[in-house]
Amino acid sequence: METTFSPQSLGRPGLLSELRALFAVVRREWTSFVRYPSWIISLFIWPVIFPMGYILTARALSGVDGSGLTTFRNTTGLNEYVGYIAVGTMIWMWQNIVLWAVGYALRNEQMRGTLESNWLSPTWRFSYLLGSSIPQMVSMFMLMLVSGLEYAFLFGVDFNGSLWLSLLVILASIPSVYGLGFAFASVVITLKEANAFVFLVRGIVMIFCGITYPLAMLPGWMESVAQWLPQTYIIHAMRSAALSAEGFSGIAFDLKMILLFGVFWFALGYALFNMMERRARQTGAIGQY
Amino acid sequence: MQTQSLSQPTLASQLRGLSAVIRKDWKQYWRYPLNAISTMLQPLIWIAPVYFMGQAFSVNGQARGFAQYSGTTDFMSFVLLGTVLENFINAVFWGMGYALKNDMDSGVMESNWLTPIPRLLFLVGHSATNLVVTAITSSGMLLFGGLIFGFNASGDVWKAFLPILPMMLGLYGFGFAFAALVMLLREANTLVDLSSFLVQIFSGSNFPVNALPRFLLPVALALPLTYGLDAVRAYLIGTKTILPLPWELALLIVFMFVMLWLGTGAFKWLERRVRVLGALGQH
Repeated sequence: METTFSPQSLGRPGLLSELRALFAVVRREWTSFVRYPSWIISLFIWPVIFPMGYILTARALSGVDGSGLTTFRNTTGLNEYVGYIAVGTMIWMWQNIVLWAVGYALRNEQMRGTLESNWLSPTWRFSYLLGSSIPQMVSMFMLMLVSGLEYAFLFGVDFNGSLWLSLLVILASIPSVYGLGFAFASVVITLKEANAFVFLVRGIVMIFCGITYPLAMLPGWMESVAQWLPQTYIIHAMRSAALSAEGFSGIAFDLKMILLFGVFWFALGYALFNMMERRARQTGAIGQY
Repeated sequence: MQTQSLSQPTLASQLRGLSAVIRKDWKQYWRYPLNAISTMLQPLIWIAPVYFMGQAFSVNGQARGFAQYSGTTDFMSFVLLGTVLENFINAVFWGMGYALKNDMDSGVMESNWLTPIPRLLFLVGHSATNLVVTAITSSGMLLFGGLIFGFNASGDVWKAFLPILPMMLGLYGFGFAFAALVMLLREANTLVDLSSFLVQIFSGSNFPVNALPRFLLPVALALPLTYGLDAVRAYLIGTKTILPLPWELALLIVFMFVMLWLGTGAFKWLERRVRVLGALGQH
């Protein structure tokens, strides 16, 4: 009797196998994340001490008799600065952490020497990047929750707004924030030494997006630049949603802009990933570091 | 036949060793010019939000509320001087703290340790380059910062060195102990990040410490760097001081001797501990 044997690949890519691969990346990232207890410090301490520098500076600028604060009120139309600074710095921290964590996801694999072997597995390559982002998103939700509680109890920030609208702003911001992270991760595979670029991107957000001051304080040309950055709208929308009682109408325009930027950055992130990935394979640079 | 060691440690050989460490660090630092530019521009990026925030509290560029705490309405000169010191604090925490850890990571620590020169000399070499490089990048930062934000120092620059010298020597003495601690702990990013940030906040790099809430003020007053920064500002931009200037100088001189003594002592003790644990080549 003759037995026929048709050679078949061990890996049969399908939706389920792709999901399993994605889940494996998520599980690995989560295990690495909880393995080092320093994340607890980041979770509880950074949200307090990062805005503290700015808040204490604003306190000094207010003066002993509060005359500086009166000037601040006249100039900006705002009544208080603590919640204003806390929300602005929190969004900056989010983008900063995404740049380091998601932006370096593939680079770290390259450094560990596992990128080339992972690339050979019959999975959708973008899932490596997507899988790294999911645990990161969970940890960021935790960070925002802890930050909110700390700002309310330690700094006495009065969150007059709506929790649901704040959540809506966060969800709508995910494509912009992570899309930028994906674009960054793709560039880093080729450029490798990327610290200076993280400093540049987060610096742009820090200077132009008004994390500690109203945009009206910026010169005209800087205001124009700020209008092209999604973080400007995210910070503004988050302040409206969390600190004021304006309701949906207060964030409607920002939300529209955030979603438009989200589509752009996510598409750009994906396109750059494909382009850089192909280029790195062609030049044989995927395993180099 | 008389056997003689090939290495005969003399003052000249030790100086040659020191010069080799300095040359290596110098070459390595300037090999990545983008990093040097980034070191110069980073602090300016960090103070940009402070600048615009200061504008919101000022009338015609005069921060009158701020003057009630500091004695000057020139908010940005105050902040820029603080940022220069911040650069040195960062250089000690990150540069000095990681000096030996980097040698460990690149796998040269064990072989360096076998050379017949005093081990503290490696750290002195690393500190010398670190100090010079930070001074160069800080000058560049001050130049750019002055052009962008405005910087007016009407005081006596030479007198400002009176607090700067003991403060820097004390700070680098602390760096000796910190480098040995990082060598022992190995994975110390969070510790370094957090401690350098807190020291910067509480030593008053961006605001006068008397603006701190009462319960936080003792932390600031317990840091010798607070007095160093306070004295430098008093000499250069005429701010009010926390203590009379001679007292602040005396405190800084005591700080210098104590930190140099403690730093070298702690280094020797921790370095011995790392050798006993056999962790010199691990990372």
